[in-house]
Amino acid sequence: MNEQKIVEIDTVKIKKRLKQRKAKMKMSLSVCARCTLCADSCFLFNNNNKDPKYMPSYKFINSIGRIYKRRGKVDRAALEKIREIVWKDCVLCTRCYCPFGIDIPDMIAFARSICREQGVYPTFED
Amino acid sequence: MEILNLITSDLLYDLARGPLVWISFLILILGTIYRTVKLFSFTRKKKNAWPVSLPKKKAPDGDTDKSAPLIPKWKFTVFGAHPVMISVSTVFHVILFIAPIFLLAHNIMLDEAVGFSLCSFPEKVTDYMTIVFLVCGLFFLLRRIFIARVRAISSVYDYIIWCITVAPFLTGFLSYYQVFDYKTMIILHMLSGELMLAAAPFTKIFHMVFFFFGRFVLVTQHTIGKGSRTW
Amino acid sequence: MVKGQRKPIDEITGALEKYSNVLNIGCGGCVSVCLAGGQKEVNLLNAELESIYKQNNISKKIEGFTVERQCNMQYLDELDDIAGGYDCLMSMACGAGVQYLAEKFPGKPVFPAINTVAIGIDREIGIYEEKCRACGECVLGYTGGICPVTRCAKGLFNGPCGGTNKGKCEISNDISCAWQDIYERLKGQNRLDDILKIKEPMEWKNQTQRTIIQEPYMKRYT
Repeated sequence: MNEQKIVEIDTVKIKKRLKQRKAKMKMSLSVCARCTLCADSCFLFNNNNKDPKYMPSYKFINSIGRIYKRRGKVDRAALEKIREIVWKDCVLCTRCYCPFGIDIPDMIAFARSICREQGVYPTFED
Repeated sequence: MEILNLITSDLLYDLARGPLVWISFLILILGTIYRTVKLFSFTRKKKNAWPVSLPKKKAPDGDTDKSAPLIPKWKFTVFGAHPVMISVSTVFHVILFIAPIFLLAHNIMLDEAVGFSLCSFPEKVTDYMTIVFLVCGLFFLLRRIFIARVRAISSVYDYIIWCITVAPFLTGFLSYYQVFDYKTMIILHMLSGELMLAAAPFTKIFHMVFFFFGRFVLVTQHTIGKGSRTW
Repeated sequence: MVKGQRKPIDEITGALEKYSNVLNIGCGGCVSVCLAGGQKEVNLLNAELESIYKQNNISKKIEGFTVERQCNMQYLDELDDIAGGYDCLMSMACGAGVQYLAEKFPGKPVFPAINTVAIGIDREIGIYEEKCRACGECVLGYTGGICPVTRCAKGLFNGPCGGTNKGKCEISNDISCAWQDIYERLKGQNRLDDILKIKEPMEWKNQTQRTIIQEPYMKRYT
């Protein structure tokens, strides 16, 4: 089984990753008008009593958005919180609708890949 | 008190109706061009990964197509899901653009400044537009405050942008009717308008460009038309 | 991922003919990704059906629900409180999902609303191409990453048949010969030895149902 190794979070590496895809990420985060029109396109949002934490925008703002806001300087606890958002609250069905055409699934996938690289991913054991 | 004195001072008045206007327009135009060019530079032309033209399938012998009902398409657009929000939003954005551009007072000033002006709506029309705009703005504000899903992703920044957008209309309306001190109000109107113009390219208001780019130019699941570029 | 396509509407209405209370169940997995059976398609199909029934004055209740994945019982359990009220279920998942759903509710008729077509890749948004037939004996390592089972009309393992025609397949000039492509690719990689060895014919295992137990979990189940 994959033992999740507790390793130091490499913020330099995260920063490097952020830089690689900065243009799309920064633009997406900056133009999001917080209009919440994406909400209904998420079936998890509809299945969970329209709980805002399942809104596509909420998920991308609070995952990759949070990492970017701190310029990659996040600790393990923060990444573990993000792990819950990007794996538990999102199945990456890639069907989010954004009136502006923000590619939300790609942003979530990006957050996943950063988490994975830092050894923070779901173990499917709990 | 001193702040009030400053606001009503002739210096600020002259500044706001003179150089600041041009500066804010310059920031708006150059900023928008800059960021739009950036958008294009961040993206590239999408190569078609499907060069073979799709075989045109003939409809099966049966009359499947005839029996297929016509469901109104809009029902499955965002308008079908949120008719009120989309209507309000459309009205809000249309007025946001056309009311200031075709306002008589603005055009008179434009004429005085450069000897050229656009046509204007009757003042009554722009008056009503402003009222409708403010009601729409209020709708957005109440939505942000009271609807859980909107509140969940709202921050101080969103309220600041709301203020920046609504303030020029509110102050313009109040100054036109000379509510409160006219001079203070007109200075506030000019300053807030200039702030909005200058802020547009560099804040989330830039969705004014990104909307067209993201929905018509970028190739995504929700592209209107074919799209041509990709990140 | 698994790729599917919606069945013709007539086939669906035909299947539902005898039932008046239908739950249409979408899947948030592969079929959602390939735009065939996610929440949006559930809503669209339901609206289409409702409008057909309205036109024909048929009274039927059709509702929708989308689960995370229909190939996992944990997610199907979400339907426990919901499915009871319907006299038949319709699934927009792949064949695996439909069967698992039917297994969970053995007393209820379950109808597929999509045809499961392939394991494939996303060529473009909305264009998917079959890449794998899940034969269970992957030979891609020696065929230069081009699958002779999927790509060759005859599923040949040791070079092209006599019908290969200037790089095209004998069944259509639009289809390139898989073995020609394999040859070209291996040649480019200097690996032509790979296809000189005779490859034994495959023991086709998809005649009976296959089950996989991943090695690390073997201990749990044996």
